[in-house]
Amino acid sequence: MLRFIVRRLLVTIPTILVVISLTWGLIKLAPGNFYSTERRLSPAIEQNIREKYGLDKPWYQQYGKTMWGIVRHLDFGLSLRYENQSVNAIIKQSLPVSAAIGLLAYLLALVVGITAGSIAALKQNTRWDYGSMALAMLGISVPNFVLGPILVLIFSLTLYWLPPSRWGGFPSWNLILPVLTLSALQMAYIARLTRAGMLEVLRSDYIRTARAKGLSERDVVIKHALRGGLMPVISYTGPALAFLLTGTVVVERIFSLPGLGNYFIQASLNRDEPLIIGIVAFIAITLLLMNLLVDIAYAYLDPRVRY
Amino acid sequence: MSSGKFKQIVGLVVLASLALSTYSCTVVSSDEEFFGSTTPPKQNIFRYVNGDEPTSLDPVMSNGQPEARLYMALYDGLVEYNPKTLAPEPALAERWHINNDSSEFTFHLRHNGRWSNGDPIDANDFVYSFRRALAKKTASPNASLALYLKYAQAYNEEQVFVRDAKTGQYLLARDFVADLAPDPISTTPIDAAKPEYLPDPNELKGDPDTAFHQQMHTPLRLTLPGDEKARAKRIDADPKLKALVAGKEFVTVTEKDLGVEAVDQYTLRLSLVQQAPFFLGLLAHQVFRLQPQKIVEKYGDAWTQPEHIVTCGAFKVKTWIPYDKIVLERDPMNWDAATVKLDEIHFIPIVDQHTVMNMYKVGELDAVYNHTVPNPWLHVLKYKKDYMDAVEMAIDYLIMNTTKPPLDNVKVRRAFNLAIDKDAYAEWRRVVKPLTAFTPEGMFPGYPQPKGAKFNPAEARRLLGEAGYPVTQNADGSFSCPKFPEDQVEFIYNVQSANKLFAEWYQAQWKQNLGITVGLRAMEWKTFLDSRAKLEYKGLSRAAWGADYMDPFTFLSLFYTGSENGTGWEDPKYVAMLDEANRTLDHKKRYELLAQAEAYMLEQQPIIPIDTPSVNFVKKPYVKGMYPNPASLYPWKYIYIERDQAKWDYSTPSLAAD
Repeated sequence: MLRFIVRRLLVTIPTILVVISLTWGLIKLAPGNFYSTERRLSPAIEQNIREKYGLDKPWYQQYGKTMWGIVRHLDFGLSLRYENQSVNAIIKQSLPVSAAIGLLAYLLALVVGITAGSIAALKQNTRWDYGSMALAMLGISVPNFVLGPILVLIFSLTLYWLPPSRWGGFPSWNLILPVLTLSALQMAYIARLTRAGMLEVLRSDYIRTARAKGLSERDVVIKHALRGGLMPVISYTGPALAFLLTGTVVVERIFSLPGLGNYFIQASLNRDEPLIIGIVAFIAITLLLMNLLVDIAYAYLDPRVRY
Repeated sequence: MSSGKFKQIVGLVVLASLALSTYSCTVVSSDEEFFGSTTPPKQNIFRYVNGDEPTSLDPVMSNGQPEARLYMALYDGLVEYNPKTLAPEPALAERWHINNDSSEFTFHLRHNGRWSNGDPIDANDFVYSFRRALAKKTASPNASLALYLKYAQAYNEEQVFVRDAKTGQYLLARDFVADLAPDPISTTPIDAAKPEYLPDPNELKGDPDTAFHQQMHTPLRLTLPGDEKARAKRIDADPKLKALVAGKEFVTVTEKDLGVEAVDQYTLRLSLVQQAPFFLGLLAHQVFRLQPQKIVEKYGDAWTQPEHIVTCGAFKVKTWIPYDKIVLERDPMNWDAATVKLDEIHFIPIVDQHTVMNMYKVGELDAVYNHTVPNPWLHVLKYKKDYMDAVEMAIDYLIMNTTKPPLDNVKVRRAFNLAIDKDAYAEWRRVVKPLTAFTPEGMFPGYPQPKGAKFNPAEARRLLGEAGYPVTQNADGSFSCPKFPEDQVEFIYNVQSANKLFAEWYQAQWKQNLGITVGLRAMEWKTFLDSRAKLEYKGLSRAAWGADYMDPFTFLSLFYTGSENGTGWEDPKYVAMLDEANRTLDHKKRYELLAQAEAYMLEQQPIIPIDTPSVNFVKKPYVKGMYPNPASLYPWKYIYIERDQAKWDYSTPSLAAD
């Protein structure tokens, strides 16, 4: 097991370096500069700016400088758009916002999704099953850029119950609408995954054995069926959580939240090279780590999986 | 699923969406006087959405409008914009006098100017700030606005003078530059018999003459590129220069050569390289606001961090949470602290129009920045009493790539202009005024703005015919232009739903009136800018410009050099006309000459004027002292929250000067 983890971690490092290099190359290929504006700057002033940020150097020197900072100190440098703010500081500042919303949304999605999915599986082909699966279908089909504004329209603009946007700290009323918006899709997914997983497990031999041994239905479901039925949910959790934690562009835009997703989209639009690279690297690391955690969790939960 | 059940479900969905849409309409079209809540905040705190997150708190480092507004709260300069007219008003400079040809400005500073840490402000702070704004290593994107100062450009580009080591004499510009403008007074030797300034009852003594002043009053020296390669190229191209440079030394232009002088502790003298009658108005711009020398030198680029920053405006930084809010509080040290009425201002960075309007409606905001009311909401919002309806000092126009056929032909360009009905466009847009010239209409009192060509489709078709693309009328009354290379002309715009609508409108006009189908291409913002800057696009592009200062020249100068306007159009005759106008001291005559230059440019038609936009924003009726001025720049110290309903604003406040 330990060997497996070490091996996986070792593979992670070159993967991330490749991701960073590719990102760097793509940014260099993109037209436009962080300093371009409606009125083009005079060539002399443009030159001053290029010299200040080292953009007048040959590409391999620029690449070398970027990579050296990252490899040596895990330092992604200073943002170009946000004068004198380090990329590391921006990530440190915006991550808690994204993580708070993302984690809450995922927890909510787990509780509601697993409950709904289990009920649907246990009462297959009944009203309960159809009802929860129809809702899940709706959750998957209604995109969050539609759901968000509808929630705002109802709860903020009409009922005046909840603030329509912005970050209000943790905890605050401001969290409710973005968390609801973000969790709808996850909820629906988890409900469907749970239902499918449970249905499969409920038909398996060991459940029949458990029942034959005379265990109560409650024990059968919670101790045996749920544990096996949740395997698909676990493998979905890795990537889902990684993306939720590192910010969701649309929800953060709709609710004007100063999270990582908001910075990511702004950085790309602004051609803010160090910030783009920093966030991409961070997302890549989170994603790889989450997947590793899922694999470890698998090994514990499913005796058939061995590394 | 049985078909009955399916129909039931479809019915339900349709019903639900219908309910939602009627419901959303009722939300917007309620017949209240104002849009949403009008309960004033409990404290004297002003909550304002300012557009995008600021780039920097360093006043010389950003050219954006959101930053400009923020800097107006944080930093004072020599002069400040009048809240209604934007005309320059005394700020840290108490009074000033300008020499007879607007080439030298002397400012007398007030003695009670102070930084937020209590340090006094004097003329040396201005000398430091102007030098820093122009230094090459600062790399300010705004430096171009300060190039009117003597040797500013040479200093900004780290150019060199040419000096004879033995005699100490410098080579002069007039011996090498053919069409140099006549010397302004500021660069001619001081002549005691001919006073430089008109007599001023406040300045009986006159300002002391100094060695630096005398040095400024010498003919302009020649400057050559600092970069050796570029310099060698320049020298090789001019045999006379090559002969004279031989054996002489190159002296780098330094900050000490810049035309800024602290005559005494409270007197500042600025020497310009040319006559610039509009310069005083320009001095309220952020690039001329103060930066704290001690703090900048102590912390370097990190001086703007909230824990280090020292400011000198009516407000100072309390907290800054990026993309959430910047909280400014009243600065008791400010020289004009008695005028300041608000305790705090919260600048909130949001760009999404709908989010902004939602927050405004529920009463979480007191005012929002310009252009925030979404187009589809205007039919309701325009009639609310908190809607600000006033003209903006800006223009919307189209540019054409004049370097590629068929738009390299001026007749084709004119045809494209004549085929757009701007009156109809303005009526459709509701909040803009039709424009036929390149300066916003009626913005500069006394400016004889030229009237550009009006909508005339018949003339447009005739011109196209003359250019070799005859337009024929079809049996059904429509037109076609079979010879026109439609694959060579497209219209580019940056991705935004409103821009797409406008583009489709122009497209329809050209199709309807010329029979030409112009393809549309949406581009991501930076790609769009790049395509324009490099003249890679073919055909036409959307463009817009907002004034940097209150003078027609802020618009006309866009075409002063060919590299900045994205059309490739460059004309020495136009440049000469502008130069001549700016050398003219008589205000009226100068305006006439500028208008002639504008008329000439319109004739050459590198652009198609479209409209003068409106400021288009909302502010709560209890917000007083905030005027919808044409640049949307507000001296924050005058703004206050009025709790007496009788004194509220029940319409757009008047911009007429008191």
